[in-house]
Amino acid sequence: MVQITLTVNAEPVDAAFAPYKTLLEVLREDLNLCGTKHGCELGECGACAVLLDGQPVLSCLVLGVDCGGRTVTTVEGLASDGRLHPLQETFADLGAAQCGYCTPGFLVTAKALLDEHPRPTRDQIRDALSGNLCRCTGYQQIYEAVEAAIGQAGPKGPALRDTRTDASSVRRPGPFGPGTDQSR
Amino acid sequence: MIYGKIVRSPYPHAKVVSIDLSAAEKAPGVKATLAYMKAGDEVHYQGDPVAAVAADTEERARDAARLIRVRYEALPQVSSEAQGMQLIGPRWSTTQPNTRAGQRAETGDLDAGFKQAAHIVEQTYSTHIITHVCLETHGAVCEWDGDKLTAWVSTQGVHQCAQGYAQALGIPQTNVRVITQYMGGGFGSKFAPDSQGIICAKLAKAAGVPVKLMLDRKEEHLDTGNRPSAFAKIKAGVSSDGKLTAFDGTSWGTGGAGASSGFPLPYLYQFPNRKRVHTDVYINAGQQRAMRAPGHPQGCFLTEILMDELADRVKMDPVEFRIKNAPPLAPNAQWVKYFAEGAKRFGWDKRHATGDPTPGPIKTGMGVSAHLWGGAGRGSTAHVDIMSDGSVVVKCGTQDLGTGTRTLVAIVAAETFGLPVSGVKPEIGDTLYPFSGGSGGSTTAASVTPAIRVTSLNALDALFAKVAPTLGVTPDQLAAEGGRIFVKGNSSKGLSWKDACKLIGTEPISVDGKWEDGLSSSGTSGVQFAEVEVDIETGIVRIKRILAMQDCGLIVDKLTAESQAYGGVVAAINFALFEDRILDRVTGQMVNPNMEWYLLAGMSDIPKIDIVLNNMPERGVIGIGEPPTVSTASAIANAVRNATGATIRSLPLHPHKVLAAIEQERAGGTN
Repeated sequence: MVQITLTVNAEPVDAAFAPYKTLLEVLREDLNLCGTKHGCELGECGACAVLLDGQPVLSCLVLGVDCGGRTVTTVEGLASDGRLHPLQETFADLGAAQCGYCTPGFLVTAKALLDEHPRPTRDQIRDALSGNLCRCTGYQQIYEAVEAAIGQAGPKGPALRDTRTDASSVRRPGPFGPGTDQSR
Repeated sequence: MIYGKIVRSPYPHAKVVSIDLSAAEKAPGVKATLAYMKAGDEVHYQGDPVAAVAADTEERARDAARLIRVRYEALPQVSSEAQGMQLIGPRWSTTQPNTRAGQRAETGDLDAGFKQAAHIVEQTYSTHIITHVCLETHGAVCEWDGDKLTAWVSTQGVHQCAQGYAQALGIPQTNVRVITQYMGGGFGSKFAPDSQGIICAKLAKAAGVPVKLMLDRKEEHLDTGNRPSAFAKIKAGVSSDGKLTAFDGTSWGTGGAGASSGFPLPYLYQFPNRKRVHTDVYINAGQQRAMRAPGHPQGCFLTEILMDELADRVKMDPVEFRIKNAPPLAPNAQWVKYFAEGAKRFGWDKRHATGDPTPGPIKTGMGVSAHLWGGAGRGSTAHVDIMSDGSVVVKCGTQDLGTGTRTLVAIVAAETFGLPVSGVKPEIGDTLYPFSGGSGGSTTAASVTPAIRVTSLNALDALFAKVAPTLGVTPDQLAAEGGRIFVKGNSSKGLSWKDACKLIGTEPISVDGKWEDGLSSSGTSGVQFAEVEVDIETGIVRIKRILAMQDCGLIVDKLTAESQAYGGVVAAINFALFEDRILDRVTGQMVNPNMEWYLLAGMSDIPKIDIVLNNMPERGVIGIGEPPTVSTASAIANAVRNATGATIRSLPLHPHKVLAAIEQERAGGTN
């Protein structure tokens, strides 16, 4: 067993674990932070991405023992004071997640991008997120969600595409419209 | 909790001579071992499960798995369809033949049909094998309490999975609880407990503690399903005025070791005289499983490439040619409309004839393709509780693969009660909740939402009965909307939802309901357009844009419906350009069981995708998970043909195949 002290999601943490464990395993099994996902454990899919000293890394390729004294941010650390990070809001609102398994990796990687480039171009978004694979959404909504989060750290962000409103407008009138007697 | 690890056959075909668990049993931390096969059994693919072990850490389980000594007698293997179809040569099994007669159908008069033809195309077309690559691998955590099993499974069907456990373990289904709160994708590969689920349960029983057994990425590629290959030698005729006259297709394909490989052929278009004979070929590779619109992407590709070749023979525009030969307009058959509308939206009039005349290595082209799907609902049940504090819980034993089922449950109930979505708590993904079927065949939305609607209406009727006396009206005079219950036509006479629910009393409103006919239907149609750029020096295909015209009956939630279409299109881009399960033809081993050499599209591979959903509320709810992934690959391949003038009759469109087709075309073509 090795013992290290590191900062995880802005909290100092002591962790003791077998020396061969990856940061991914330490986070999930020893620190009970299961938001970070196992995808391939080969450094190919990006599902396990976390921020190490602010930079995105694949936690399946980082040894836990290398993280002593360092700062780790996982998806659990994105929300603050009970409020979601703007990226989490836009990912949810714009349908940038389906099964959600790749989402933690996308979120932290996109956060690192916005921290470094507050107003990234579409090409910068593409380059930053090209190491993260998604099997469900089709990526287009992920571009839209990152773009919608631009500038949201400030008091007022750009207006979002209001798909919820669209949805309710196409939902009625129909057999499932409001009222009790339409479908009976 | 301890960890399980499966020992798998390294051979694609072998006889198990002996399995020795003794060294593993004595290894540190080992709590249980299991022989899944026995001496004399035959393994039929690389990755076939043979034995298993559970230990207190994952590493120790892996170490112990290496100590399980399995002796094999290697047997010759079949590693390709062509090899399997040879009359002499290796057999996939010592007891079963390499091939089996599959689908067979004949309609009309083939000879007469070919006599009416002014042109005949005779070619062989094929599609390849891809695996599901769910980002979360297959696996489970199993825990026993006496003879009762609780299994947390990454599954598309909690009730179906419970049935599978009960049958495999010989216990009553009432003793099995399966829970799937969230799961990381299934695409058709996660319905049953599978070997890993049953092994996990058996290890947990033997060890007397819960066991977690998740597959690694290599196991995932080898043993959790794939889309079968498809080949067809087709002879087809067209009359001088562009009407299809005859189709004669001999098809084959492999679903791996002993699994079938059927698909619809010809696809969609009306060949009045047609014959199709299919042969399943068995090879020593992992078995196929349903994969997002099973059979359709294959049948669609084989037919749609042929359609463009036929259109060229009669010098007709591919859209016009398809309109002429598609089934007539009907609620479940919107193709002729989508061809016309989509062509206008896409700028199809700017399409050049086959072969981009622009000088230079970059050639641009457009292609089109169409598809169909069913997506009918069936037998879901649900339960609704309304509490006297106004809180509402809706329970249904369905599950959310990521398609948004949980969202739909909440939306439909909330709309019925006139509450915000946050006012309803949807509870799904547990066999303790009322029965709902597996999420396959795009049936979930059409099964679940009517059940939620009916059950919510039952609950609302019960609430109206409690509220009506206070408002001095009869229950049928009441309506629920905007967080209030009020008298129809006099909205000021009413109560807030919360106040209305106070009248419920101590015993909550607690009602059941089930799927009823009339709120859902079946049959969707879609048409897709693709524009590509092909570098004829490198063979690299870049997709510029895709337009998907699609219906799914009543759109319950636009965001999640569109998301299914986006995701389906990208999955099909993967099918067309990237994914390919490659078996070494000498050793029968998969050479790319990972996510690097098994190519997958990323952020940089995605074109502009436009989704046009045709809302058809009068039809009720129909599923959309599968149809949008059917025709994309064919539209892309036809666009590559339009760009280069070379017909690529086989997927995937990897650069070397594109270059080969261009070379062949330069050498005089294949026609």
